[in-house]
Amino acid sequence: MTSDNDRRRGLLARLRGRPVVRSRGRRRLGAAVRLVAALMLAGGAYTLLAPSASAQDNPPLSGAAADGKALFDVSCVTCHGRNAQGVEGRGPSLIGVGAASVEFQVSTGRMPMARQEAQAQRKPEVFSPDEIDQLAAYIQQLGGGPVVPAGDNLHADGNVAVGGELYRINCSQCHAFSGGGGALSSGKYAPSLSPATDRQIYAAMLSGPQNMPVFGDNQITPEQKADIIAYIQQSLKHDSDPGGVFNLGRYGPSTEGVAIFLIGIVALVFTSLWIAGKS
Amino acid sequence: MKRRKFDMAAMPAKTGRAVDERFQVATPLRRLLNKVFPDHWSFLLGEIALFSFIVLLLTGVFLTFFFEPAMTEVIYNGSYAPLRGTPMSAAYASTLDISFDVRGGLIMRQMHHWSALLFMAAIVVHMLRVFFTGAFRKPRETNWIIGSLLFWVGFLAGFTGYSLPDDGLSGTGLRIASAIMLSIPVIGSWVTSSVFNGEFPGTIIISRFFIAHVLLIPGLLVALISVHLGLVFKQKHTQWPGPGRTNGNVVGERMFPRYAIKQGGFFMVVFGVIALMGGLFQINPVWLFGPYEAWVVSAASQPDWYVMFLDGSTRLMPDWEIFIPIGDGYVIPPLFWPTVVLPGILVMLSLFYPFMEARYLKDYRSHNLLQRPRDVPFRTALGMMAITFYVILTLTGANDVIADKFHISLNAMTWAGRIGLLVLPPVAYYLTYRICLGLQQHDREVLAHGVETGIIRRLPDGRFVEVHQPLSSGGEHGELPYAGWVVPKKMNRLGALGPAIRGFFYPIEKPAEAPVSPGHPPVEPRAEREEIGSGDSRRS
Amino acid sequence: MSTHTAHPGHEQVDVNDPRLSQFDIVREGARRDDIEIVHYEPQVMPGSKAERRLVRTVAAMFLLTGLAATAFLVVYIWWPWEYEMGRGGDKLYTPLLGLTLGIALLGLGFGILTWGKKLLPKEVSIQDRHEGAVSADDQRITGQTMAYMADELGVKRRPLLGVSLLVGLAPVGAVAAAPLVGGLISNPHKNNQMMVTGFSPQDGQKIRLVREDGRPIRPADISAGGQITVFPGIEHGVSNLHADSPTLLIHLREADAEESRRNNERVGHGGYMWGNYAAYSKICTHAGCPASLYEQQTNRLLCPCHQSQFLITDNAKPIFGPASRRLPQLPIEVDAEGYFVAKSDYTEAVGPDFWERP
Repeated sequence: MTSDNDRRRGLLARLRGRPVVRSRGRRRLGAAVRLVAALMLAGGAYTLLAPSASAQDNPPLSGAAADGKALFDVSCVTCHGRNAQGVEGRGPSLIGVGAASVEFQVSTGRMPMARQEAQAQRKPEVFSPDEIDQLAAYIQQLGGGPVVPAGDNLHADGNVAVGGELYRINCSQCHAFSGGGGALSSGKYAPSLSPATDRQIYAAMLSGPQNMPVFGDNQITPEQKADIIAYIQQSLKHDSDPGGVFNLGRYGPSTEGVAIFLIGIVALVFTSLWIAGKS
Repeated sequence: MKRRKFDMAAMPAKTGRAVDERFQVATPLRRLLNKVFPDHWSFLLGEIALFSFIVLLLTGVFLTFFFEPAMTEVIYNGSYAPLRGTPMSAAYASTLDISFDVRGGLIMRQMHHWSALLFMAAIVVHMLRVFFTGAFRKPRETNWIIGSLLFWVGFLAGFTGYSLPDDGLSGTGLRIASAIMLSIPVIGSWVTSSVFNGEFPGTIIISRFFIAHVLLIPGLLVALISVHLGLVFKQKHTQWPGPGRTNGNVVGERMFPRYAIKQGGFFMVVFGVIALMGGLFQINPVWLFGPYEAWVVSAASQPDWYVMFLDGSTRLMPDWEIFIPIGDGYVIPPLFWPTVVLPGILVMLSLFYPFMEARYLKDYRSHNLLQRPRDVPFRTALGMMAITFYVILTLTGANDVIADKFHISLNAMTWAGRIGLLVLPPVAYYLTYRICLGLQQHDREVLAHGVETGIIRRLPDGRFVEVHQPLSSGGEHGELPYAGWVVPKKMNRLGALGPAIRGFFYPIEKPAEAPVSPGHPPVEPRAEREEIGSGDSRRS
Repeated sequence: MSTHTAHPGHEQVDVNDPRLSQFDIVREGARRDDIEIVHYEPQVMPGSKAERRLVRTVAAMFLLTGLAATAFLVVYIWWPWEYEMGRGGDKLYTPLLGLTLGIALLGLGFGILTWGKKLLPKEVSIQDRHEGAVSADDQRITGQTMAYMADELGVKRRPLLGVSLLVGLAPVGAVAAAPLVGGLISNPHKNNQMMVTGFSPQDGQKIRLVREDGRPIRPADISAGGQITVFPGIEHGVSNLHADSPTLLIHLREADAEESRRNNERVGHGGYMWGNYAAYSKICTHAGCPASLYEQQTNRLLCPCHQSQFLITDNAKPIFGPASRRLPQLPIEVDAEGYFVAKSDYTEAVGPDFWERP
C-alpha cells in the first residue's frame, strides 16, 4: 500500500515539478496524456479505468484545485466519475458536497474505498494532508458546499456541559453515551469517536457522511459544534474513568455481566474448590 | 430440666453456668456447635449469594444516607464539570454527589452494584448445582420454591435499584417497564397509570421504587433467606453418595470450629473480591449517561445481565399483534408475550419442577443423597436445554454490542437468535443425553474391568495388552455395582474418595465399609496404602 | 428433638469422671447429639517445622491485612480525591481504595481459611439424620389435638359463628386493601392523557415545533438529509412532563420526499408533510424508547432498545423487529412567521401499544 502510494506520489511530483509554459488547457491535457502513458507503461490497472482525456469547459481551476484534480483523476474517478459527477451504482456525485466531506472521507482513510461494502471503514489514510487539501479545493471549486473552519483545535471555546447536552440529544443514539459507536441496521454502524480529530468530527457534522444525518451550521451553530467537540474530546476521551482502572470498554451492562461471571464467579468458585472437598 | 446431668463441672466457666441457669442454652448450644455439615465445594455456591447480600445491605445502608429519592428538578452544581448547569432530578443529582462529592462514595456505589450482580449470578449458579444434583427432591421442595422466589425477588430488587439513579440508561429501562405493564390485556393502562400515578414518567415513581428497594423488597429477601437457611439447618444438608454416606446420615465436619471458620473466611474472601471489583472495575458510569430525558437514548441500551434475557426475548419476538375486532377494537401488543407471558411461564416451571419430576418418576421418597448429573440423563439434558434457551436470550439482549464489535449484521443477529432459540435447545438436549449415557457407560466399564494403568504387558503368545487395575478384589471378573459414587478413572485417583474421609477408606481393593469405631485422638499414623502391583492375576 | 434418643451399644458416660480428657467429653457431647466422630487426626505435629511454617504464613496474612487496612486509611484521608477533569491522580482514588480494602479482606479471609484448613485437625463426623423420626403416633396426637381444638370452639355445632365471622372479616380484609388500592389507583384516561400530546392546539392556537432550548424552527434550519428532535412549544414542552411529545423532524431529499408524499396519500395522511419535511413521533410504538437512529441514505429509523426498524419514506412503517405499528406522524405546516407548527395533534395514540388503543 505504502510503497504503491509512494511510487504514485513520486510520479506525480515529477509530473508537477517540470516547469511548463504552455496554456493551462493544453498543459492539463498534456499532463493527463503523460499520466496515462506513464501508467500504461507501469502496467497499472488504472489505465483500463481512467477516462480518456478530452476537452473540458469547466471554469478554470486554482493551483491547488488543479493539483487536486490530478489526484482525483488518478484515485477517485473510477467510482465518482469524470468531473465528480458520480457513477451509477458505484459512487455518488460529489458536486456540492463541499470540502468538509472530502476532508472527512479522505482524512479518515474511508476514501478511496478498498471495496464496495455496507459502509466505508476507517483505514490508514492514503493521502497526505496537503493532498487532501488539494482534493478538497478541487471538489469545493466544482460545486461549493460546507467547509470546515481553519485550525486543528476547534473546541478551544467549547463549553463541555452544553456540549454534553447537545451530544446526548443529537449524537448518543448512534455513537452511544460513551462515544464508542453502535450498530445500525443490516451491517451498518456508527463508528467509535475515539480516533476522530476535531476537524473530522466537525466535517462529519457538516457533511453527514454515509448514513449520518447532516447537522449543518443552520441547525447546530459553529459555537454549538465547538461545544460538542469539546465534550467529546475533553470529557469522553481525555477525562479518564474515575470508577476504576478498567472501564470494561464502557459497553454498559453487557460487559459488566461478562465480568461478574468471568472474574467474580470464577474467582470465588476456585476459592471454594480450595476451601472444601472435591468429591 | 435435667441440669445436673449437663453440669459442666469440668468447665471452669462459671458465667456459662449462670447463663444456662437463666436461659437453658447449654443443650441447644451444644447441638449447634456439634451440627455436622458435609464438606463439598459446590455447597459453598449459595454462600456466595448470602455473603454478597450482606455486602449489599452494608453498602446499601451507606448509600441511603446520601441518596435523595425525589424527582424534583434541580440544577446540578457539583464537582462533575461536564454536567454542571444541567437541569436534572434530585435523585440523579444526589447519585452524582455520591459519586463525586462524597468521599469514598463512588467505591460504595460500585461495590453495591457489583455485589448485586454477584448476588444474582451466585443464585443462578447455586440453583444450577441444586438442579443438576437433584437436591430439590423431597423433602426439600419448599426450599427449592423459596430459592426460585429469591431469584425473582432479587430480580425486582435489582431492577428497582437500577432505576433509582434516574439516569439516561435506567430511565430508558423504566420506560420499557412501563410499556410492558401497558401491554397487559384489559388492565394494562390502569396498572401503568396507577404505578406511575398518571402518565409516564410522572413525578413519584422514584420515591415509590425507593421504598420498595430499601424496605419492602429487602424485607422480603431477608425473610425468604432466613426461612431458606432455617430449612437447610432443620432438614440438614444433602450430601454426595460415597463410602459411609447413607440417606440417613450426614458425613462431614462439625459446625464449630472448622465449618464456621471456613464460612467466616469465605465471607471475607467474597467481600474482598467485591471490594476489588468495586475499586478496579468501573460499573454503571451514570455520569456519562446524563439525566433521564424522554428523548435521549444511547446505542446499545441494555439492562443488567439478569434482566437481559427479557430484553433478548423482546428483540427476537416477531411483530405479531393480536387485534380483537369488538367495538372500537382491542389489541394485545407483541410486547406482551416475551415480557409477561414468558417470565410467567418460567416462574411457574421453576416453582413446580420438583413436583412435576416426582410425578413423572413416581418417586415420592425422601432423598438426602445427591445424584451425579450423568445418572439422571433426562434431567441433566432438560437443564442444559434450559441453559441454552436462557443463554441465547441473554446473548440476544446484547446482540447490538456483539453485532457492532464483531462486524456482524444486526438483522442477521436477530435472525440467528430466532432460529437458534428454536433449534439449539433440542440439540443441547440430545447431545447432553448422549454424553450422560456415554459417561455412565464408561463408569460401568471401569467398575467391571478396572482402571487403565498405562502399563503394557506382553503375553506369552506375543500379544500386547494394557494392564487394568481392577477396583475390586472379587475374583477374576469381580464387578462392583455402581453406587452413584465417583469412579476413579486414573491410577492416581485411586482412593480419591479417601481425602474427605481419610483414615478408614484405604486402597480401593478393600471394599469400603462404614466405620465401626470412632477414631481416637491422636490417631495412630495412617497405614500406608497398599502398593498396586503390576497386575498379576488382576488383568481384565 | 429430645435428648432421650436411645443409643444401643453405648453406655451413658459419666461426664464428671475425672479420668476423662476434654476430648472425651466433647465426643460424649457429640454422641448425645447422635454424632460419631469417626476420624480425628491432627494435620500437623505440634511444634513441627510444618506447623511453624503454617503459623508464620497465617500470621503474615493477618499482618498484610493490617498493612492494607492502614494503607486504605492513609489513601482515604490523604489522597487527593476531588474530581477534576482530565487524567489526574484523583482518578486513582477509587481504584486505590478498592485495592487496599480488597487486599485487607482477602488477607484476613485467606488467613482464617488457612488456619481452619491446615492447622485444625482433620475430622470426619457422622450425624444421624433421624429420617425415621417421623412418628406416626406424634402425627396422630397433633392431628387429634387440633381437631379437638376445633371441637372446643364448636364451629361445627354452631355454624352461625363461623359464617358470621367470615362475613364479618371479609370487609375487614377489603378495608385493609382499600387504602392501598384506592390511593394508588389512577385513571389512565383522565383528560384523555393517553391520546393527547403537547402538540394538541391550545385555545385554537397551533403549537410551534421548538428545539431543546425553546427556539422555534424555520425550514432553513435543517439541511437535506438532516433531522432534529423537536418539542411542543408550550410550557414544560421540553421536559419529561411531556414524555410522549418528542418528535423527529426530518428533511428528506427530493426523491425520498416525493415517495414519502405518495405513501402519505395512500394511507390518508396527505398533507401531513410540509415541503420535503416530515415529522414522526420519536417514541417507539413498541416499548417507548426514543427511536432515533436515523439513517439518512436508507431512510430507516432504528430503535436502539429492541432494534425495530421503520421506513420513513413509507409512513414510518415497521420493516424489521418486534414493532407492529407505524410511528405516528405529526401533520406540520409553516406559520405566517415562517416557523414550523403542528397542524393538529397526532391523529393516533403515541407510544407503546395497549389494550384499548382504538
